[in-house]
Amino acid sequence: MVVVRRRWFQAPWEFRESALFTAVSVIAGFIIQVAASGRGIAMPHLPFNAIALSVLAVLVLSTGLAFKNTHAVKWFGGIPLGLCLILAIALLSLIGGIIPQQPVAKESLPVLLGLNQIFSSWPFAVTVLLFLANLGISLSWKLIPFKPQNLQFILFHAGFWIALSCAVVGSSDLQRFVVPINVGKANNLGYTMESETPQHLPLSIYLHDFSLEEYPPQLLLYDPHNDKLMMNKAQAILEVRTGTTASWQGIEVLVLDYLPYALPGKDGVPQSADRKTGIPFAKVRIITPSTQREAWISTGSPMLKPDAAQLDGFYLIMMPGTPKSFRSAVTIQDEQGHETNANLEVNHPVSFMGWKLYQMGYDEKAGRWSKLSLIEVIHDPWLPAVYLGFFMIMAGNILFFWNGIKRREVVK
Amino acid sequence: MIMNFNTAAELAIVCWAIGSLLSLLANRTPALKLPAFLLSIAGALVMAGFIAFYWSALDRPPLRTLGETRLWYAALIPLVGFLVEYRWKIGGLKYYCMALATFLLSINMLHPEVFDKTLMPALQSPWFIPHVVVYLVGYVLLAASSVTALHNVYLQLRKQENSTGESVSHFLALLGFVFLSFGLIFGALWAKEAWGHYWTWDPKETWAFLSWLAYLGYLHAFRYKIDKSKLQWYLALAFVVLLVCWFGVNYLPSAQNSVHTYTQS
Ligand code: HEM
Repeated sequence: MVVVRRRWFQAPWEFRESALFTAVSVIAGFIIQVAASGRGIAMPHLPFNAIALSVLAVLVLSTGLAFKNTHAVKWFGGIPLGLCLILAIALLSLIGGIIPQQPVAKESLPVLLGLNQIFSSWPFAVTVLLFLANLGISLSWKLIPFKPQNLQFILFHAGFWIALSCAVVGSSDLQRFVVPINVGKANNLGYTMESETPQHLPLSIYLHDFSLEEYPPQLLLYDPHNDKLMMNKAQAILEVRTGTTASWQGIEVLVLDYLPYALPGKDGVPQSADRKTGIPFAKVRIITPSTQREAWISTGSPMLKPDAAQLDGFYLIMMPGTPKSFRSAVTIQDEQGHETNANLEVNHPVSFMGWKLYQMGYDEKAGRWSKLSLIEVIHDPWLPAVYLGFFMIMAGNILFFWNGIKRREVVK
Repeated sequence: MIMNFNTAAELAIVCWAIGSLLSLLANRTPALKLPAFLLSIAGALVMAGFIAFYWSALDRPPLRTLGETRLWYAALIPLVGFLVEYRWKIGGLKYYCMALATFLLSINMLHPEVFDKTLMPALQSPWFIPHVVVYLVGYVLLAASSVTALHNVYLQLRKQENSTGESVSHFLALLGFVFLSFGLIFGALWAKEAWGHYWTWDPKETWAFLSWLAYLGYLHAFRYKIDKSKLQWYLALAFVVLLVCWFGVNYLPSAQNSVHTYTQS
């Protein structure tokens, strides 16, 4: 193969020029970032961001089509620049994938460069903008004139263009609030991650009831001298049930009886109680080389001290199980008088008048007895656009998959 | 319940083992092709049937524990494998998939307590299974692509002509990319339901995005005039990014505030 050395900037441009251009753009981004003294980019809100995005789309598509045959535009919509921009996005994301992403109060060079908030930094924004331009121009050539065999290309590239641009541009219109509510109260004040002062929301939530279901409690051996939990022989989590056995070096434990909801009785023997007040109790037989005895142990609750069994300087304790599910029974109301009753649960959000409500958390110290529920309230007007992009990419994927290898058998 | 599980799992594994054996023999005796295929499918159907039965016995979708999620993987991964093999004529993928499913079922048989090991509420979602199945199949394909590419590099260094090898690694990467894209999007759709937003640049998400970009870069480099034999190096190394995404993320400084670093066995 004869290698013809191309001089710098000799048409047609390829990788060298693309790499240089990309590097200069990223560096320029960092310079703007520092000049803005570390403050990231501020995106305008609706409708201005939508207008700006439409202008960008029209500009990119028309540039692509009008100057189809010029070297500069051919290069700008070509794969070499695309690859360099993909690499730039990858490198910036790599920074974000290694350095913890969170606001830092301290002034330092990495903070000034925005490395701790790379995804809202200027260099990232500049790269994404160029990426959209590059992708959009290459798209314009396949869109017009339309040919059915380009459908897969269009679905992938237009889908990604829409999803990426709407996610980025729409981030300013994303509203996320945490609303803390006590049982029997209503609240319309929401807190954001960034600020301490709550904001008035256009909806209010009344909490009828909060309930939490736990997995069975666990059996553990505690060493108070070293403040350590001892690993049992099977190295497994020991869920307490009637018949559960466990062994540590020299200590054997058998669960004789298990009451998931009980309260201490008068004679010291726990009695079954209702779900709301009862706590787990277990009767255990403990066998050590020297002794054998039986005892009741319990997990305790905010109202009741836990019961542990003491043996040879260790404590056999029962830990409450981890949460299995938790839900809030609420009534949601907006200012126009719309009202709905709902059960909020993790993974089962509820939509209401353009808002989406999520069961987020509760008072973890109180656990099952929490009287507080944290509800996250989210408004994201750009979501349908982003999902449209997602579904286009998936449609492209299915087409790609289904076309299979047949028509590609001759690659080289 | 565990008893029934062992019977079902053993039956499925036997189906896969005999199916694989017959399909290897079918290279010489084409008449065995059909029984081999039917047996291999039967293994996945046994697991699907068990899930249906278990579901009605539990009165809820079996999606609460780690052991239960593995049932789904074991039924779906071979099915996806057959589908891929059928459309893409990738010989051998089904063996990987059946082996992977056997491995997952064996974990459940050796550690019956995984049926007690519970999933936190956020993981109890219908998106969890497709998300993981698609990712596991994608990883299998991309691992195979990397191994093929490494072999191609070795042959290149020994100056041997090998263009079939290069198209095999290419097709595997192409197809693996399709699965990574699905995995990424399923993950985003699930995150919206569980955590309120589809993308938060959580370290695990960032690394999943990076691995996707690595293969996106490959696809476009391949489409451009880049020496195909040089790209074998790229493919061989791209899998390293995937490994970081899978295992390495927990050890990076950024992992301290990740929602994905629940440790699971
Ligand atoms: C950086 C901007 C991008 C440019 C300039 C670009 C350009 C191209 C071009 C020119 C092709 C070849 C099309 C053909 O031969 O018919 C292609 C293929 C492809 N692109 Fe892109 N693309 C970009 C970004 C993306 C993105 C973000 C995705 C994913 C959503 C994507 C997915 C694909 C796929 C799946 C193929 C088919 C590969 C194949 O058939 O081997 N591209 N792209």
